[in-house]
Amino acid sequence: MSLAVKRRDPAALVLLAGPVLLCALAIIVPLVLTLVVSFWERKMIGMQPGFTLTSYGLFFEGARFSVLRRSFFVAISSTLIMLLIAYAVAYLITFRLKPSRTRIFLFLLSVPFLVNYVIRTFAWAYLLGRTGPVNQFLLDLGVINQPLDWLLFSDFAVYLGLIAAYMPFMVYPIWLSLSAIDKRLIEASWMLGEAPLQTFLRVVLPLSLPGVFAAAIFGFVGAFGEVAVSQILGGVGYQLMGNAITSSLDVLNYPMAAAMSTVVVGCMLIMLLLWLRFFDLRLFLGKVLGR
Amino acid sequence: MTIMLKAVSRRTVLKSAAIGAAAFGLRPDLALAAGQTVTLADIGVGDPNGDWSTYTKETGNTVNVVSIGNGPSAVLNQLIAGGGRQSYDIINIVGGMQNPLVENDLIVPLDVSRLKNWQNNAYIAEYFKPGSKGFDFIGYEGTIYGVPTVLQGDSFAYLPEKTGGTLDSYGALFDPKFKGFVALEDNYTTAGQKTALYLKSAGLTEINDPSDMSKEEIAKVVDFLIEKKKEGQFRVIWSSFEQAVNLLVNQEVYVMDCWEPMVFAAKAKGVDAVYAKPKEGYLLWAMAAYLVKGDRSPEKIEASYQLLDYMLSPEYGAMITSLRGYMTNPQAPAFAAQSDKFDEATAKRIAEIDAGVKEKFEAGGTWQARWPTNIETYEEEWQRFKAA
Repeated sequence: MSLAVKRRDPAALVLLAGPVLLCALAIIVPLVLTLVVSFWERKMIGMQPGFTLTSYGLFFEGARFSVLRRSFFVAISSTLIMLLIAYAVAYLITFRLKPSRTRIFLFLLSVPFLVNYVIRTFAWAYLLGRTGPVNQFLLDLGVINQPLDWLLFSDFAVYLGLIAAYMPFMVYPIWLSLSAIDKRLIEASWMLGEAPLQTFLRVVLPLSLPGVFAAAIFGFVGAFGEVAVSQILGGVGYQLMGNAITSSLDVLNYPMAAAMSTVVVGCMLIMLLLWLRFFDLRLFLGKVLGR
Repeated sequence: MTIMLKAVSRRTVLKSAAIGAAAFGLRPDLALAAGQTVTLADIGVGDPNGDWSTYTKETGNTVNVVSIGNGPSAVLNQLIAGGGRQSYDIINIVGGMQNPLVENDLIVPLDVSRLKNWQNNAYIAEYFKPGSKGFDFIGYEGTIYGVPTVLQGDSFAYLPEKTGGTLDSYGALFDPKFKGFVALEDNYTTAGQKTALYLKSAGLTEINDPSDMSKEEIAKVVDFLIEKKKEGQFRVIWSSFEQAVNLLVNQEVYVMDCWEPMVFAAKAKGVDAVYAKPKEGYLLWAMAAYLVKGDRSPEKIEASYQLLDYMLSPEYGAMITSLRGYMTNPQAPAFAAQSDKFDEATAKRIAEIDAGVKEKFEAGGTWQARWPTNIETYEEEWQRFKAA
């Protein structure tokens, strides 16, 4: 059935209208409300409808702006690290693992998600602590004389927590993208005399970029709005944007929380628009779905 | 489906009638409210492990305990957006939040003449007098909104084996001897106020009232904390009960600004932790139970008042003291000693907890202000500390 036929079919239109309306209500309406509230004025413990840039002014002038800068840096750098790891894992699954084992490996990647995310983060705190198993193991081996303080409550711990939390999510879109590459193109590259590295750089990598970008969005969005990892593993007031927004909500400063959320959503939207601008999503999904 | 509804309805009516008749026979004044279920939203402290048998026996009503967050935004969001105004009859949270609760029209003033246990509660008369700092935990602009359910004084914990002896000043939190082995709570109204209490007592900064600082005063407190943070004094700022307990149990820190139940939990795990008796005094606070404003029948309101009254009873107080380690009711130790409900050891422990907290209140310090006048500045400044 062609798309044109579907468009003329009132039943199909009705069927489509429901989910579209639901998406609009669940996604668009809260975003628009957040944007509107960000311009409202804070009055005592409430807020007053209007148009003021006070919250944005306070945000960009105050300590919270440094949190935004840090969040950007942490989110971008951790996403790059996660991409490197996730790409290597996805590549191995796609090209080096027997098809019969792929399913098992992908299942193993999802096993950590059976445990609550906060509990997993607390587990890292236990493992990396001064008296934790990692330090104890290193002490027993004689590699160190005293516990390593920087294992926990440090940038290292935050990056480790973020990688553990979001990297597995990033493997899937990259794997999907790599799986969708027509193997004949790779074979053609070999036959034309390209070395494996050149084949990877000129054929495999460019064709897998939509998946890479999708994975980057998963990683970036997660790391940028992270709350638990920074709070549990970060140490003395380590904050990312999620923590700063929560803190504003604690004093019922909804316009400020909305302004910060709007900035965060704006950043995400820019990334999504770039993705749509540079990659043909339909082509990517079409290949994955075998169409 | 219709048949089922009819059956349930008939059963309910018969049950209610039976309970009502029984209650009317025993206590005619309470018959009005029998058969009600009162929903109590609690932060995890006020539930006597599901044992509301005395309340049910005396009133014919039952209690449905649900969980509620303790942060201002959590409480307000659950009441406003989460439908709490209709589903919760009473909220039992750390007091002092009457300002946002009253201004948002979420709680109602209490008619204390309907609470027979109110009048003979010496702690209410002593610690929550109108005009006192304690009153701010139950009242707002001269009107009473909350029933005080637990009282406590906070200081800090330490591991004597690691610190090399007794610590009796908040100065230990900032002592270079423990550099890198100190943790603070992520809360400007606790860690911030304790720091203010120390700075004032030590004569390091002029602070008029640590419980309600001016914008300049809280900025000075945060300047001091930032200086210490940059020197590497603090290992972490904790934000949950489990996290704090683990910090002590794993000996990640030796000195920690925290709540006393964390010391109980650490001790239960075999760690020799001590809750300090600082010479500067304690951070005093109380929990309060409020009647939620909503569309309720007179029967439901009566049942809610009955529950509030029960929460002021020596029996309820003894159970909560035993379970949670907080001071509750002045008659709780005597009740525990005389009642079959508690064994001798438990009764002794209840008396010890009661005496211990009373000692803290006698030592004084500063009352915690959950909603200080300049709360936005507190939050801004705390952000500055954390971002530094």
